[in-house]
Amino acid sequence: MSAESHPAPARPGAAALSPLRDFLQRLRRETYRAGPHVPLPASPTHLLREVAPAENLVSRFQTSAAMVGCRVHRVRRDEWLATVRGILRERSARTVLVEPHAETALTAERAAQLSEALEAEGVATSAQCVDESLFAADASVTGVISALAETGTLVCVSSAASARGASLIPPVHIALVSSSQLVADLFDFFERLGAWAELPANVNLITGPSKTADIEGVLVTGVHGPGEVHIVLTAD
Amino acid sequence: MNPTSGLRARLAEAHRDQRVVDAVHLATWRKVEARADAMAGLRHYAALRDRAAQIRQHTLDHLPQYLEQFVERATALGATVHFAANADAACATVCDIAVSRGLKLAVKSKSMTTEEVHLNDALLAAGVRVVETDLGEFIVQIDRDRPSHIITPIIHKDRRQVARAMARELGCPYTEDPAEMTRIARQHLRDIFRRCDLGITGANFAVAETGTLCLVTNEGNGRMTVTRPRVHVALVGIEKIIPRLIDLPVILKLLARSSTGQPLGAYTTLITGPRREGDVDGPEELHIVLLDNGRSRILSGPFREVLRCVRCGACLNACPVYRNVGGHAYNSVYPGPIGSVLSPLLYGRPAEELPRASSLCGLCYQVCPVKIDIPRLLVQLRTATRARQPRGKRLLMRAWAWAMDRPWLYRLAQRLMRRLLPDDGTGWINRDNHLFRRPLRAWTAQRDLLRPPPQSFRELWKGGLGDER
Ligand code: SF4
Repeated sequence: MSAESHPAPARPGAAALSPLRDFLQRLRRETYRAGPHVPLPASPTHLLREVAPAENLVSRFQTSAAMVGCRVHRVRRDEWLATVRGILRERSARTVLVEPHAETALTAERAAQLSEALEAEGVATSAQCVDESLFAADASVTGVISALAETGTLVCVSSAASARGASLIPPVHIALVSSSQLVADLFDFFERLGAWAELPANVNLITGPSKTADIEGVLVTGVHGPGEVHIVLTAD
Repeated sequence: MNPTSGLRARLAEAHRDQRVVDAVHLATWRKVEARADAMAGLRHYAALRDRAAQIRQHTLDHLPQYLEQFVERATALGATVHFAANADAACATVCDIAVSRGLKLAVKSKSMTTEEVHLNDALLAAGVRVVETDLGEFIVQIDRDRPSHIITPIIHKDRRQVARAMARELGCPYTEDPAEMTRIARQHLRDIFRRCDLGITGANFAVAETGTLCLVTNEGNGRMTVTRPRVHVALVGIEKIIPRLIDLPVILKLLARSSTGQPLGAYTTLITGPRREGDVDGPEELHIVLLDNGRSRILSGPFREVLRCVRCGACLNACPVYRNVGGHAYNSVYPGPIGSVLSPLLYGRPAEELPRASSLCGLCYQVCPVKIDIPRLLVQLRTATRARQPRGKRLLMRAWAWAMDRPWLYRLAQRLMRRLLPDDGTGWINRDNHLFRRPLRAWTAQRDLLRPPPQSFRELWKGGLGDER
């Protein structure tokens, strides 16, 4: 590969690239002898993994998510609605963001069901994830595209249907996870991500609530992101 | 000013406030324990560490091609990639992006590169208001202080100092409760996040294969910074590259455990290009400024391995020197063992005494997740600046080396010293002796005089110690 074999694409950023190309050429000339490229030996992933694919992922996920400070509600498939309502009621949420996404456990149908139930109780719901509605919401309910048993991590991505701010800005985040979405190990997740045709602009691995220990090492949750993360985990 | 006297003065300063010394001791000790526990819970710690070191070293050994691949991918996704040869160029590039677009309010997520180039001052001079949003950095900023740890910037402050700064600068009611202070900061910064138009971050990693930036944070300010503003600028050191997406988990499994003992940071954010068409939110423009600032010089020399560093901070917490003097004594953006190697390489003469402020105990190497042999690099750096040491010291060291090379002489000296330094302190040489008033006082002022045991190890061994198994 050489710098010349990749003509600068005709886009606004191209002009900024020429100092970089000069730099790379100089770096090659002065520091790196042009030789055949020795590729990085393949990753011995099977020797490095924490969680075997055969492990009981549901209980592993439950334990790891609780360890990082999430509250896990493991319920039957038909109990999800009551569970979510219960959490919101307990927190006296007045405005709730409900964000459906087709590839998650919070389908449009379920979102409509939840919104209807909440409105009936006098809770304002919104699917609008922009600006003021986000900052005004007491809680958000979303799905996830994947969840990691190893670390208790939830994965949310940006798209036309899901906002980056939905799992971030309201003080309480409730995530619907179905057991079929669990992957065993961080390696498995990144392998799957690598197979996506195009990565979303923003992929978030969320491991517990927002936290800091900056002041005298005292753990405080809810600094900029949600201080409470609830996981409503259903089996299917 | 002679750099050595600068270091001495800073060391004296570091011990002036015992409360600070105690605070740093306690906080670092907690982190050392949290790290050890987390690693002990990892099934394949040694293998992961080997692999992480291999990935980082391989990348550095083939950096031009991976940089090129990264630039190509990131550009194809709609990011604008810039190159900054030094700190001034980096500041000029970022200021230009801000000024030409009329951006007025910048939010920053904690980043070492932006501190290295002093970006805040430059932006301020260009008429852009910059707000640090990491809680620790925010307090540093309002209190006009300097960070003293690469992960925990206010490790040197206790809650009263934080409380005073907040009450004074934000006009909020005085409270010493960390949860309440955090809530006040959240409230204050939420307003800023509503209005900001420029987001500035560094990056923990940049994936060549996909043109992705990886950002690891705990508070969520990093996510806010790449969500709210219209423009996102990431200032990324050229050494931050990782070849492929699948190489990331190897390092992620170690990074947060090494830093704070967490299995993963609360938020691991992968940024691949600016907001896509149709996306609900996110910045319209993504600028990635690749920063050299001395790194290519380090790459071409014998210290390349130091650039493997993933800035976890474990070596700071483990280091007995850091734990006793705190971060400010290093007078560098990069304190601790890694700073003692990196600072002289980046800043040259003013930092060249740092490698000598170490007992070479080796703990930094032991905890480093990418196996940087810091003690060896410290010795190499000492050697490199040997010529500028005082003449007397050089002669002494040469004599010492000569003697240590000759076992018979070593044995003889041992026997002689035992005569001169008997263990009851009454020998010819003792603390009240004139020798220790003048030339050797600097040594004995803070150390006890050696009391050699009646028998040396060699004699014990010969006498049968080696036979007792
Ligand atoms: S040198 Fe190693 S231990 Fe120190 S900050 Fe860098 S990666 Fe961490």
